[in-house]
Amino acid sequence: MLDLVQNTLDGIAAGSAYALLAIGFTLIFGVMRRLNIAFGPSIMVGIFLGAWVHVQWSAGLIEAALATFIGALLASIYIERLSFAAIRGDAALASMASSFALWMQLEQGVSLAFPGRTTAFPTLPPLPDIQIAGLFLGGDDLLVLLSAGLVLLVLHRLIYHSHFGLEMRALADSAEAAAVSRININRVAFLTFCLAALVGAVAGLLIAATDGQITPKFGLWATMKGLIAMMIGGLGSLRGALLGGLVLGIVEAQAQWYLGAAAREIVVYGLLFLCLIVLPGGIAGVRDTGAERKL
Amino acid sequence: MDPFLTSVLSNIGLFSFLALSAWLLLIGGEISFGQQAYFAIGAYASGIASAVWGWPFAVALALGTALGAGIGALVAWPAARLSGVHYAIATLAFAELTRASLNVFRYQRDIDGYLTGPDGANGFRDIRWVYEAGIAPGTYLAIIATLLLLVIVLIWLAARLNVMAQLRMVGEDPILAGMQGIRVLRWKIGAAAAAGGVAGLGGALFAHMATYVEPAQFSVMTGVHAVAYGLIGGLGTAIGPLLGVLIDVGLLESLRSLAAYRMIVFGGLVAIILILRPRGILDETLVTKVRSWARR
Amino acid sequence: MLEIRDIKTSYGKIAALKGVSLDIHDGGLTCLLGPNGAGKTTLIWTIAGILKAQGGSMKIEGENILGLKPHQIVSKGIVTVPENRLVFPDMSVRDNLIAGAFSRRKEKGGVEGDLEDVLTRFPRLRERSEQLAGTLSGGEQQMLAVGRALMAKPKILLMDEPSTGLAPIIVEEIFEIIGGLRDEGRTIFLVEQNAHMALKYANRFYLLEQGKVTFSGEPGAVDHDEVIQRAYLGARKAS
Ligand SMILES: Nc1ncnc2c1ncn2[C@@H]1O[C@H](COP(=O)(O)OP(=O)(O)OP(=O)(O)O)[C@@H](O)[C@H]1O
Ligand SMILES: [Mg+2]
Repeated sequence: MLDLVQNTLDGIAAGSAYALLAIGFTLIFGVMRRLNIAFGPSIMVGIFLGAWVHVQWSAGLIEAALATFIGALLASIYIERLSFAAIRGDAALASMASSFALWMQLEQGVSLAFPGRTTAFPTLPPLPDIQIAGLFLGGDDLLVLLSAGLVLLVLHRLIYHSHFGLEMRALADSAEAAAVSRININRVAFLTFCLAALVGAVAGLLIAATDGQITPKFGLWATMKGLIAMMIGGLGSLRGALLGGLVLGIVEAQAQWYLGAAAREIVVYGLLFLCLIVLPGGIAGVRDTGAERKL
Repeated sequence: MDPFLTSVLSNIGLFSFLALSAWLLLIGGEISFGQQAYFAIGAYASGIASAVWGWPFAVALALGTALGAGIGALVAWPAARLSGVHYAIATLAFAELTRASLNVFRYQRDIDGYLTGPDGANGFRDIRWVYEAGIAPGTYLAIIATLLLLVIVLIWLAARLNVMAQLRMVGEDPILAGMQGIRVLRWKIGAAAAAGGVAGLGGALFAHMATYVEPAQFSVMTGVHAVAYGLIGGLGTAIGPLLGVLIDVGLLESLRSLAAYRMIVFGGLVAIILILRPRGILDETLVTKVRSWARR
Repeated sequence: MLEIRDIKTSYGKIAALKGVSLDIHDGGLTCLLGPNGAGKTTLIWTIAGILKAQGGSMKIEGENILGLKPHQIVSKGIVTVPENRLVFPDMSVRDNLIAGAFSRRKEKGGVEGDLEDVLTRFPRLRERSEQLAGTLSGGEQQMLAVGRALMAKPKILLMDEPSTGLAPIIVEEIFEIIGGLRDEGRTIFLVEQNAHMALKYANRFYLLEQGKVTFSGEPGAVDHDEVIQRAYLGARKAS
């Protein structure tokens, strides 16, 4: 029983980072109705820029964090310009294929610049661990949880209580209606991309700083986790993305503990497949008609 | 023939099966990120058949194809009710499930004093039928090419019989297709079965050429590549996905000096192609133009 | 010919059709008028078998067809020209037309001849027969959709608001086509909001308001202005 609770706790900590990744995906998909599968790789570019300032100038966490944001932002803008803004609106498939092509570029670019298998990333400051009633919560995990919560609060304010948020939600609802109500679609789409990049960069930063090292495979990893969490939660809903991230984290932690690493993958993908068939609206139960549209 | 050229051409042929498999589903209106699963199923099934059970090569190929098609249909039976992103991620989930299961799948038998068969994450070695039968790489290339041609001829025949047109209708607008009297769900499941079969055949050929396969080869990356080939080459004809493969493998193998920058060059090229031609190089507009020109 | 009784269709909890009854008679233009959101498209989709009715009955020549799948409905000779989604945009005009004849695959031959007939009927489609359908103008797409439906040799042709989004002059043209089809003795069920035009051509009409048939009659026998007003605006509280 204690194990079960402890695993859940660990799962929530990991899941909060997944939730941020899922939210990044959801923001982009909600507004563009197109899948940016290079979302993970753009965060990967960010953390490598962070690692670079760390290695080059032995910069600390703050500078590395700043560099991570800048890197993720630049990579996202690059993807937005080439794969989304430059491709006409009804060619969603082309955007997806194009973002994949840029993913390949980014991954190889980073691998060339950082030939080692792993690269060091500045770690979080040492934090006191918390122990209550036999349960253990690492200081790192607590910081991850708190940061993720903070990002969620800020996002919520931005989306539901700001003019930009209103424009974003209008665009997510219907591009045609948004255009005739004089919303500058291109601007909103661009800014949404940037916002998603920053949210993703927070997740990337937290994960990289907890691990203390990074690899170019982070891109694939982040894309997979974000996509899975988004789909489990329910495509097109922020609440769904949050729930999906947490569920994914908890399921992974439990499966890892009780069944081992190999079975964990089987459980996660099996769950995802079943979830899509049985609950296409995700656990948040969204009926988002746009999601069923042709990609 | 030059061994290097033979191996490059063989690779192009094998990837073409995968690309055609993803293309068939794209025509039916859905993206599958999971065709590598059927490639893997074909590879493992045919490998077990020839290396462990000692079946003849042709029968092993048939088994890989049939199993790919059967499982493709079985997965599509619930999945074809989904569409868009849901379908794409469901296929991806199934493929990763397959890969993760192969990671723990062990089925080894003592063959001539060697333990032969899949050994989980360590892979499956000694699929040696082709080598023991003394088939030279050039001959094997001819086998690949012949079977690929067979698949293309079948697709061409299907197009003559309006089969492809009906699949295209389902892909463009399933509701409108239903209003024309087309049984949409059947077509979707049928397309998934055909796509599974084509990928399974490709996988079987791949396993017997490589003699060694492992689960990691059938990752998401492989599947996403397969989709990208069709989108780059164009959805207008079955030549599109082959063109996509040719651009990737052919062009970049020939630019060996740029090997280190290969993905950077390829990625940039693809991004530019897709800006200029969002539905690929050989898109429907071009194909329709050529057809009407040919009709005159 | 087609007898619809007490059809009820809902989207989840929202009841869109609350018991609709009407008859489509052989050889003639039956028109269904009604304001936005009355449930006209819902009725068409229910007849076409795409939406499931929760209750009621639907018979063609005495044979029950409620609950049949879309392809079975088509094989009974009921062919739909839907609203908004008219053509397969990435297929050529010719292929779109041929697509209409897929439902009658069994009787071989004749398709080429019918294609020729349709292209003669719509010369504008002939000029553009090798063009992708998505590049046609709105009016041309509407013609293409009608032509494709004719390729299916329908017993009953269902048309959902063929005039939406078209310029008045094109609307006239479309209605002339529909009038021509009626004069050939075809059975047509036309859903329209443009009551003014519809009443000019209809043999019989029904008025659908909020999921219920509230009025029916023959044009000429009723006050057109009243019908037109209700078709556009729905029933007034005062009236
Ligand atoms: N997919 C849906 N989900 C929920 N409600 C729907 C859906 N489609 C239609 N409705 C509702 O059903 C009612 C009837 O809609 P319908 O489209 O049949 O109207 P209509 O008469 O065709 O209108 P219009 O003239 O605008 O085409 C409306 O109140 C509409 O809001
Ligand atoms: Mg309507």
